[in-house]
Amino acid sequence: MSRIFVTGMGMISAIGDAVQKNREALIRKQSGISTLTLFNTKYTGLRPCGEIKKGTQELKDMLHAHEKGTTRSSALALHAFKEAADDAGLSAQQLSSPHTALIGGSTVGGMCLTDELYHDANRSENGSEYLSSYDCASVNLYLQKRYRMGGIINTINTACSSSSNAIMYGARLLKNGLAKCVIAGGTDSLAKFTINGFNALHILSPEKCAPFDRDRKGLNLGEAAAFLVLEKEEDIAGKKTYAELTGYGNSNDAFHPSSLSDEGDGPFLCMQKALEKAGLSAPAISFINAHGTATENNDAVESRAMLRLFGTPPPFASTKANTGHTLGAAGAVEAVFSVLSLYYQEIYPGLHFSNAIAATGLKPETHYRQMSLQHVMSNSFGFGGNCTSLIFSKV
Amino acid sequence: MYIHHHTCISPQQTFRNADVEALQENTDNKLKAKEPVYDGIPPGILRRMGKAVRMGIGAAIPIIKQQSTDGIIIGTANGGMEDCIKFLNQIIAYDEGMLTPGNFVQSTPNAIAAQMGLLDKNRGYNITHVHRGLAFENALLDAMLMIRENPGNHYLLGAVDEISDYNYNIDLLDGCYKNEKISNKALYTTSSEGTIAGEGAVMFLVNNDAENALAKINAIQTLHTTDETEVRHALRQFMQQHFAPGQKADMLLTGENGDNRLLKYYTAAESLFDDHTTVARFKHMCGEYPTASSVALWLACYPQPLPPHMIKKQGSAAAVRNIIIYNSYRGLQHSFIHIVITHKK
Repeated sequence: MSRIFVTGMGMISAIGDAVQKNREALIRKQSGISTLTLFNTKYTGLRPCGEIKKGTQELKDMLHAHEKGTTRSSALALHAFKEAADDAGLSAQQLSSPHTALIGGSTVGGMCLTDELYHDANRSENGSEYLSSYDCASVNLYLQKRYRMGGIINTINTACSSSSNAIMYGARLLKNGLAKCVIAGGTDSLAKFTINGFNALHILSPEKCAPFDRDRKGLNLGEAAAFLVLEKEEDIAGKKTYAELTGYGNSNDAFHPSSLSDEGDGPFLCMQKALEKAGLSAPAISFINAHGTATENNDAVESRAMLRLFGTPPPFASTKANTGHTLGAAGAVEAVFSVLSLYYQEIYPGLHFSNAIAATGLKPETHYRQMSLQHVMSNSFGFGGNCTSLIFSKV
Repeated sequence: MYIHHHTCISPQQTFRNADVEALQENTDNKLKAKEPVYDGIPPGILRRMGKAVRMGIGAAIPIIKQQSTDGIIIGTANGGMEDCIKFLNQIIAYDEGMLTPGNFVQSTPNAIAAQMGLLDKNRGYNITHVHRGLAFENALLDAMLMIRENPGNHYLLGAVDEISDYNYNIDLLDGCYKNEKISNKALYTTSSEGTIAGEGAVMFLVNNDAENALAKINAIQTLHTTDETEVRHALRQFMQQHFAPGQKADMLLTGENGDNRLLKYYTAAESLFDDHTTVARFKHMCGEYPTASSVALWLACYPQPLPPHMIKKQGSAAAVRNIIIYNSYRGLQHSFIHIVITHKK
């Protein structure tokens, strides 16, 4: 089966509105976690978030995205999609080709408009302009329409592993000859729905999050969109390539609706499956972009799963303290970071780490450095025990 | 890909002792599923399940009991909509106060596949496709790819969506449903905008084993367009590509739903077929919802001839072997599925 390469990337997050700006922020150890200033919730001031400091109207104006019913999630997706498509040099004709697929993950979709949704669900007349914009599919349907896309269009929601699964699905479409070019990624914006949901689960940190730290207090929510352009080796002669997507694996932890099993069966199995797919043994992995949400449960379990699989795990870190946990976008955001690591042969440090978790003793990387990297693994684990691991390799 | 088991919870008598001859009537524009007694779900867990999760698990259990699977592949546009809006109502009612997370956790669309994995201790591939009117079709395509990549594996493939008062209200405001109350028996004779709402859960056991299979899924294609000419053209190409020379469809099963704005797509599709082909419809049985095409596939695999209330036009084909399902969701998302019946009908 064909080899799959990354030929374009785009992203917008709390640390930058383009891939290169995100990279510079990671190198500078910049955190995008801050007090909310645009998004209105009772938790402003109590729960810092990775908020993109651009208002929805400003985004729409920048992007000329004034179609009726356009949500913040769709605008963020459009922002990242445009950058990725331009970066890969895709023409309007290529985008509308029946051989170009769009696969996007999202968990919030248009539900970022929590108040509008409440009113539309409960009143009998005067519906808002967003009546068909609340579901997760609305984002990709918006992009499909805007670019008259003619290939397979799909939306995946497996909670926080959504966009990793979108990337995996995209790769499988390419390998099976159902697309020549796939734009895969995800988007999520801050929503009262998720802030209140995670808060009710008592896993939102009142401080900037500290992945893998002994005294971590939970996660910071974030918002982002990221897309990667994937193409097959035979179709990209002479094109710039960032990395090869060599491995992917998904497994279900089958333990609990909102937490991972102590031994991390799901995380262990998805990493193992990804290694198998790539034809690599564990020691071949040079670096892991960990899921590392900084919740009590995730970081302990992910550490144990890494110890189980690797014995001595390779250098690893989480970028959640930079961007916040961007839910359905996280897998794609971190896939982009993993690809950047390979392309520039450098690793991005984790922030706010002081002491290792006593039971595992694992320490994430805390300094930016240049490093020879062959294979980078990126983990994403979601509610329902949905665990996905991707492996990118140097070209 | 071959279908071996199929279960369906729908507004009709489709689950256990299935009998679709007699049509269950409904007159309030909401065709609600006839939920069975759910054996096999522990009562404590059942109580906490929203309707979508409950129907999905209920439909899956008879299959999971017979065959352990290598993965769970679900299509659902909205998952647990009722739980979603319950949580939303809590947010507003308590002004973002102290909330209970139960509804939040149950509301994520992947709660259905996750719960199945949990009950079955299934650590295999677990995925939820949510692409609105093509959520089931994308799940079906995924299953076909998984089987191509992993010959010998078995997968649980299914689709679930529920009517909640809230999404009914949103879709009603959006013009999806008829303003006047009609009987589902009169669905195709009302010439007005909108349709009637529906819900259900359909599950299939799929693998690449032809022996004793109910049906073979030969091909699937999805399309996004509002142009009926494009639909017609794509369907013609689809059949040219996947039918052997001289082969014809014995049945066209369409998603016609009584919405006069969508009739042009179904008319365009039907115009490709001659007297040989029987044209049948199913939405008067299950109502309209984003993953309703899963019911069409369940019906295509139904072991007896389809009942007269489904037949729009009787064709001359002696036996029904090649079936095309054409479904359109809101005149934007379209799908074609080619099924070859491998058991005797």
